[in-house]
Amino acid sequence: MNVPSPKKDLMIVNMGPQHPSMHGVLRLIVTLDGEDVIDCEPILGYLHRGMEKIGENRTIIQYLPYVTRWDYLATMFTEAITVNGPEQLGNIQVPKRASYIRVILLELSRIASHLLWLGPFMADIGAQTPFFYIFRERELVYDLFEAATGMRMMHNFFRIGGVAADLPHGWIDKCLDFCDYFLTRVTEYQKLITRNPIFLERVEGVGIVGAEEAINWGLSGPMLRASGVQWDLRKVDHYESYDEFDWEVPWQKEGDSLARYLVRIGEMTESIKIIQQALERIPGGPYENLETRHFDRERDPEWDDFEYRFISKKTSPTFELPKQELYVRVEAPKGELGIFLIGDQSSFPWRWKIRPPGFINLQILPQLIKRMKLADIMTILGSIDIIMGEVDR
Amino acid sequence: MDNQFIFKYSWETLPKKWVKKMERSEHGNRLDTNSDYLFQLLCFLKLHTYTRVQVSIDICGVDYPSRKRRFEVIYNLLSTRYNSRIRVQISADEVTRISPVVSLFPSAGRWEREVWDMFGVSSINHPDLRRISTDYGFEGHPLRKDLPLSGYVEVRYDDPEKRVVSEPIEMTQEFRYFDFASPWEQRSDG
Repeated sequence: MNVPSPKKDLMIVNMGPQHPSMHGVLRLIVTLDGEDVIDCEPILGYLHRGMEKIGENRTIIQYLPYVTRWDYLATMFTEAITVNGPEQLGNIQVPKRASYIRVILLELSRIASHLLWLGPFMADIGAQTPFFYIFRERELVYDLFEAATGMRMMHNFFRIGGVAADLPHGWIDKCLDFCDYFLTRVTEYQKLITRNPIFLERVEGVGIVGAEEAINWGLSGPMLRASGVQWDLRKVDHYESYDEFDWEVPWQKEGDSLARYLVRIGEMTESIKIIQQALERIPGGPYENLETRHFDRERDPEWDDFEYRFISKKTSPTFELPKQELYVRVEAPKGELGIFLIGDQSSFPWRWKIRPPGFINLQILPQLIKRMKLADIMTILGSIDIIMGEVDR
Repeated sequence: MDNQFIFKYSWETLPKKWVKKMERSEHGNRLDTNSDYLFQLLCFLKLHTYTRVQVSIDICGVDYPSRKRRFEVIYNLLSTRYNSRIRVQISADEVTRISPVVSLFPSAGRWEREVWDMFGVSSINHPDLRRISTDYGFEGHPLRKDLPLSGYVEVRYDDPEKRVVSEPIEMTQEFRYFDFASPWEQRSDG
């Protein structure tokens, strides 16, 4: 290893908070020796909005619009976890149909997030074409979301006990058409990118993380699976209704950026498989467990029954969190997204701690880019896949 | 949903003076300990064969102003080998200094910085203890319950001075606190 001699000038470059890639406002102070990177220091906090303190002053239903702003590319996951926490605390059953709808929307959101990872990743490496192509598919996903939830990105759709409204008529057929179309597109991306020699030169062997190191540093998601550890919370935790579908966990062994790319492409294909199975088997029934909308002392379950759903408007959702603590987690496309929730016997939580995957995955960046070239910083940063909205919250 | 394995095993093998209280619930198991024994306890949990807790998922601070030792620092841990999670909690007040666990769990570095920044609970011999999320000249620790949600200062860009200045906050509307059980009246008998 080159020990920098005191006579040599080390240059300190500030890759400032704004830069033309889509990672967000991350400031990197990089110490360079010519073109080799000696050290790098990420500085966070530019997008800190105090989400945790706001969470202590809002009821769950008031807080739902805030949560989509953490990870604004995979919005369904943040909503799912906000709703799963109180559901587990209160032992609330979610109807089968609502669970299937949630799984379909979550997997669509995972595809959307991986697509919008792929575009800027390729753009940072230098290939601008995929950046436009991904928006084509992402617009189709947005259209599906808009039909189902009413909003393209910041849907306020999940509720404690189910989802807010049922799927519109004809949505399932449109979604199946999208799945067929998307599989041809994934093959197109693979033909364009995966065996491209320029891409392989840039990406193979860059930023290698071993399996032991990955576990020690607390990585999760595609970063962990690309290093040979087959750890996927959907299989391990048996949450929602993922057990009823037949799918595999994609994983690779090398741990470099190419492996992470392959894991994410594999995840997109597996998500399509899950969506197709869910769409074909979706059951009928209620889409929301309306009994949760009352406090325990005022239950009247007869009026919440499925047959009475057209009688009048639904009652306002009020939910009291019991005085317990819970750590609930979900497999977001970036990693393990978790909420540590401490309830106080009232409608506001006492502590709402967000465990963002990007925050932890970003810690390994200074380790990985020592002795790499300056151009590799963007490759590694891109392959870690962070979103500053959730890192800073 | 959690595997109870490491919890039962730790309950049987840990020396009793390390553990103040152990609680098991369906929502996750927790261990309360004293801040003197924190490092040893986490070291045991990480390295011992039957409890291989190698991942520190989360380090979180909680503020209970009504207690004498008002802060609680909670370490959420995961063992990928046994698929088990466990929580270790210690209490601290404003001047207690907890030992950093960065040497055991490298990912804990940023979490401890955040606990310092948000609550003011500092660590002894931490390699890098500075603020992480708040602004560069911020005074105070935001997540304590005595700091109000809107804070005390607001920033604006001042044209004569050509930089951003902080000034005491001016609110045009009083802070509205919606602590109600239901937006409609309580039904008298359902």
